[in-house]
Amino acid sequence: MLSIRDVVTKENIRKKNRTDWIFRNLFFISSIVSASFIVLIIGIIAVRGIEPFVQVYQGYNFREGNVDVGPVNILTFLTGMQWLDGSVGTSDGYAVGFVIINTLIVVFSAILIAVPIAIFSALFIAKIAPKRIANGMRTVVELLASVPSIIFGVFGLGVITKIVASIGTLINYQTAAGLSLMSAVIVLSIMILPTITAVSETAIRAVDKTLVEGSLALGASDMQTYFKVVLTAAKSGIFAGIILGVGRALGEATAVAMVSGNLFSGIQLNPLGTTSTLTSRMLLGIKETTGLDYDIRFSVGLVLMLVILITNFSLKFVMSRVGGIHEQ
Amino acid sequence: MNSKYAARYRQDQILKGLVYFFGSLGAVFLLMIIYYVVTTGIQLVSLDLILGDSRVINTSVYVEGEGGSYPLTETIDEDIYYSPKWGIGLVDAISREGYEIVEIGYIHPDSLFNETFDISQSDEFGNPLIIPLEPGISLITGFTDTSFFVTRDGPERIVEILEEANAIERFTIQDEGGGIRGSLITTLWLIVLTLAIAIPIGVSSAIYFNEFSRQSKITKIIRSMVDLLTGVPSIIYGLLGAGLFVPILNSTIGTAGGSVLSGAITLAVILLPVIIKSTEEALKVISDDLRKGSLALGASETQTVFQVVLPNAVPGILTGVLLGIGRIIGESAALIFAIGAAIKDDIILTERATSLAVHIWTVMGGDAPNYELASAIAIIILGVVFIMNFLVKWFASKLNKATY
Repeated sequence: MLSIRDVVTKENIRKKNRTDWIFRNLFFISSIVSASFIVLIIGIIAVRGIEPFVQVYQGYNFREGNVDVGPVNILTFLTGMQWLDGSVGTSDGYAVGFVIINTLIVVFSAILIAVPIAIFSALFIAKIAPKRIANGMRTVVELLASVPSIIFGVFGLGVITKIVASIGTLINYQTAAGLSLMSAVIVLSIMILPTITAVSETAIRAVDKTLVEGSLALGASDMQTYFKVVLTAAKSGIFAGIILGVGRALGEATAVAMVSGNLFSGIQLNPLGTTSTLTSRMLLGIKETTGLDYDIRFSVGLVLMLVILITNFSLKFVMSRVGGIHEQ
Repeated sequence: MNSKYAARYRQDQILKGLVYFFGSLGAVFLLMIIYYVVTTGIQLVSLDLILGDSRVINTSVYVEGEGGSYPLTETIDEDIYYSPKWGIGLVDAISREGYEIVEIGYIHPDSLFNETFDISQSDEFGNPLIIPLEPGISLITGFTDTSFFVTRDGPERIVEILEEANAIERFTIQDEGGGIRGSLITTLWLIVLTLAIAIPIGVSSAIYFNEFSRQSKITKIIRSMVDLLTGVPSIIYGLLGAGLFVPILNSTIGTAGGSVLSGAITLAVILLPVIIKSTEEALKVISDDLRKGSLALGASETQTVFQVVLPNAVPGILTGVLLGIGRIIGESAALIFAIGAAIKDDIILTERATSLAVHIWTVMGGDAPNYELASAIAIIILGVVFIMNFLVKWFASKLNKATY
């Protein structure tokens, strides 16, 4: 016969507690590791991104041999209108001022195109389409969201830039083979369309049914109800979708880099002219470069993170002011 | 009054039309992308492409002896141009990279071309290496005693030149490159390694958040830090890889620059929030009765977690894993920084390589983008990503049915 004391011995309990303690701490450490990556990202990019502004690099010039390059002037870097004043390896005249502005132009043009389409699509899926079509469209939106950026790039280069180039020929304007602000905006707006649509759709579906019924009972038509009552009620959700879309658009790299044409200097307002974004600047020529020209990409990354943060905060601020929306 | 209703009706109809039009645009875009990629790339998709080397190997060879007479004894394809003097048939073809080439389509069993000799290499006895030719090998250039030919001449003209010649001094054959085997293997390695890193950490973190963490300020901070990872653009992860993981690996295990390992670690960080989120979702819906029952039966916390809670969360974890695989296959910007874009045939984990997505980036860069090859790879990527998505959906519907 076993007695209880034989099974529940102090030794057994201690062993059990010890394994529990070990695993509890393992789980805790894992979560700390997961959380630490954001700190690492910010830390690494801050440290490596600031380096070009304080450090002297070794450059090479075939006339003078080894020369010292840098440090880059931070003020010129942030406000300059030309990516590189001089040649790679011997010049420290890097600047992204115009790139920041071009990035914002590209992103907000894309938002301007994508948002109306996304809201109509969301309304279509959530309220108007028959159930089967709605389910199909929901799948379409999910699939479109899962298409990798590089494939948008292939599509952009193979289709969009060609269309833009033929528009150029139509109005007798010589485009850079269709690489242009317009191409970048179109590709980007297709890419962020599913993000905004999905979030808006969830918001629209969450609108209280009594609101809809009330509106219909007052004699408003379907469409009036959808556009004036439902959309108004779903406003905060739609804004959240837009903010998400802006974030995605700002960080989007490969596809935009492939179709933007990588403008070297100046602010581009002509839809048929080439442009450049922070991400495309980081990717351009990455394969064959070292030294300052490589490290400066971390600085661009730092600027990109700051631009994303500032845009995000200011959008939230503006929308809370304009829309009377409060953070939940 | 009536006219007012009519106006409203018209307005509603216009709005409805707009909704239908814009609502279907998403489908239009998706179909356009699929249509473009498939029509451009499908003729290149083949086992050859998937298993082939990317590197092009040229060999210069010569034929001994003079031409004879090799009349056709069997029927061959109509589009093969046949030279009875040399017993060789040439055909127009498209290389794996989408260029027009001239391939050997047929060789007469008695033809001299069955045995050609390498010009630059010989075996240990000093005899020239024998290189047998087979249909499928492409001809690049050739010199006969009277003339010479290049690929551009096309099979018909080359056969004419061969017919006029009395001897063939040398010609260059090419083992077709342009295959994507290396990038495919790299991608598979990336999937395995990334998941091997991301799943343990991600699932453990999710278990901590859902099962062990107390409602405290620290938990809240940790949680929001993990949430922040979702919003970081992938190119920034690439900088993390290039700025942290690559140098660490360089100094610890002696890699030189980016490697498959540094890419996998970077991708693991990208996947962490995805896996944590889907695991947590799965943990949340597990009934508390199960936990209470397990604990009441005397199981320890560890036993409850591993034998009761986790098995029930497997479908959720699998969802995260499937989504993660889709993400790994499609990721480009981060990998350009964290691995590099060197296309390789033989993959060593501690050396540079490139994934399928970055392979596209490489062939699309430069002055002459290769749309066909890029689209062919894109078909493979899109196929996998879509299958993953449908699997996730299928899982979800299965689970929903199971709980009701």
